[in-house]
Amino acid sequence: MIVVRAPLRISFVGGGTDLPDFYHRRPGRVISTAIDKFVYVVVNRTPMIDKVTARYAITESVEKLEDLKHTRIKAALSYHGINKGIEISSFSSMPAKTGLGSSSSFSVALIKALNAFQGKKIDAGEAAEAASHLEINLVGEPIGKQDQYAASFGGFNIIQFNPDESVNVSPVLIDYKKRLLLQDSLLLFYTGIARAASSVLTEQKANIHSKFQTLSEMADSVPEFAERVMREDISGLGAMLQQGWLKKKSLASNISNSTIDDLYNAGISSGAYGGKILGAGGGGCVMFICPVDKKDDIRESIKKVAAEKNLSDFREIPIKFVQSGTEILYNGDHFHTSFS
Amino acid sequence: MREYVKNFSERVEALLKNLPEEEIAKALNILQAAYERDGRIYIFGNGGSMALATHWVCDFNKTVFSHNLDKHRRRFQAIRVPTTDEEITAWANDIGFEMIFAGPLQNYLQDSDVIIAISSSGNSPNVIKAVELAKSRKVPVIGISGFDSSNRLNQLADAKIHVPTEKGEYEIVEGVHGVILHLMTKYFKDYFDHLIAKAEK
Repeated sequence: MIVVRAPLRISFVGGGTDLPDFYHRRPGRVISTAIDKFVYVVVNRTPMIDKVTARYAITESVEKLEDLKHTRIKAALSYHGINKGIEISSFSSMPAKTGLGSSSSFSVALIKALNAFQGKKIDAGEAAEAASHLEINLVGEPIGKQDQYAASFGGFNIIQFNPDESVNVSPVLIDYKKRLLLQDSLLLFYTGIARAASSVLTEQKANIHSKFQTLSEMADSVPEFAERVMREDISGLGAMLQQGWLKKKSLASNISNSTIDDLYNAGISSGAYGGKILGAGGGGCVMFICPVDKKDDIRESIKKVAAEKNLSDFREIPIKFVQSGTEILYNGDHFHTSFS
Repeated sequence: MREYVKNFSERVEALLKNLPEEEIAKALNILQAAYERDGRIYIFGNGGSMALATHWVCDFNKTVFSHNLDKHRRRFQAIRVPTTDEEITAWANDIGFEMIFAGPLQNYLQDSDVIIAISSSGNSPNVIKAVELAKSRKVPVIGISGFDSSNRLNQLADAKIHVPTEKGEYEIVEGVHGVILHLMTKYFKDYFDHLIAKAEK
């Protein structure tokens, strides 16, 4: 059995510039950090069972790989030439579709686990690249590459997407004081509205050429965000988050809606410096950067709005930043190759 | 005599003023990630570097948490390899001196671990053998070296902590390595103290 863990992420600015239609014209850039919420993928060898079994929200057990419903597991197994004698399960500390990149975290963990299953060790760059290939080329999701790289490398990074498809991951080297200061200045709420990134990104992708200037400004603002993190300019970071969010809203009609706007405005009018929606939009999480002494006021007013809107799954998500990337926590798949 | 002392300390001072901050920061991140996944840290080197390794293990496993030993149930797992002198002689005598680190390390090394390799020249064959083992398993490597920056350890490491000196300046290189290793200890000691103070506020 092999156990792999991948972190979820929060992204600050630059989202959307990781789509190929943009970064083929000029480099895209995002800044994000891994957080202490994880997806786990467990792969088990079943030499006596000539089937492929996948356990997630449901359990599937098929004789022929092509009958598997889970598109990414199916594509990944096919790519690795595995069609029987394997059982794959996933576990998560968060529900799906929250805008925290969980589906790509799953893909990176799956890729790392399947490589280990075949006795291959791959590094963070190779795992991110392979997971991007799986999701974008093999499954055909209209998504970018930022989440795969954020999950694979872990930590706090600027991720740059180059026209030649190469990606540079530059860690923002902040000490624990700066890290904890920013972490303590954040509030994160799950709106209770689950959305698939693909529904929003399809329209956003179609708009890329008309919104090229806006996206360029978003990519260009990334280094400034990192500098403000270094300077501990919390109010400035909040303002940048807000500018980024307003730009992002203009990219596609369904990125925001009246519920999201009301939640967002409640946070700002209770004293947040700025905020944004995490993920492609349409739902997911809302995040604020705020003065520490305003956190309770913001919590109260945003909860009130959520109750008025009947968002039954709405809740605060406490987070910590983590350095962890996608990692093999346990590899006990030795018996089939050892003499014992 | 005074001039000799002054001259030596000035050379050390110049190096201390130009520590490779970014690479040290990367090393601290690698150690933080290992802690988060409960991985182990294997450290090794020859001669004086082995003494540095053993000293660091003591500090990292205990001193880091010494202000709040009871409050940290999970601590670092830093281990010097080989863990026994007998293994050094057994590997050296039976197989060859170049295997004294890689041989024993192969018994322990898991995917979730990291290694710290210390070598003033950065070219000690036994150190490089163990680093190559870690690299082949994609285990992160913190390399602490001296002399010329083109040394093999500095090329292979993920965090390249290099102290540039003329070839053969062991005393200066090992002295600065000691300071860097203590910096790592102090960073995590301050960090964990800060977390405890914050939680108690």
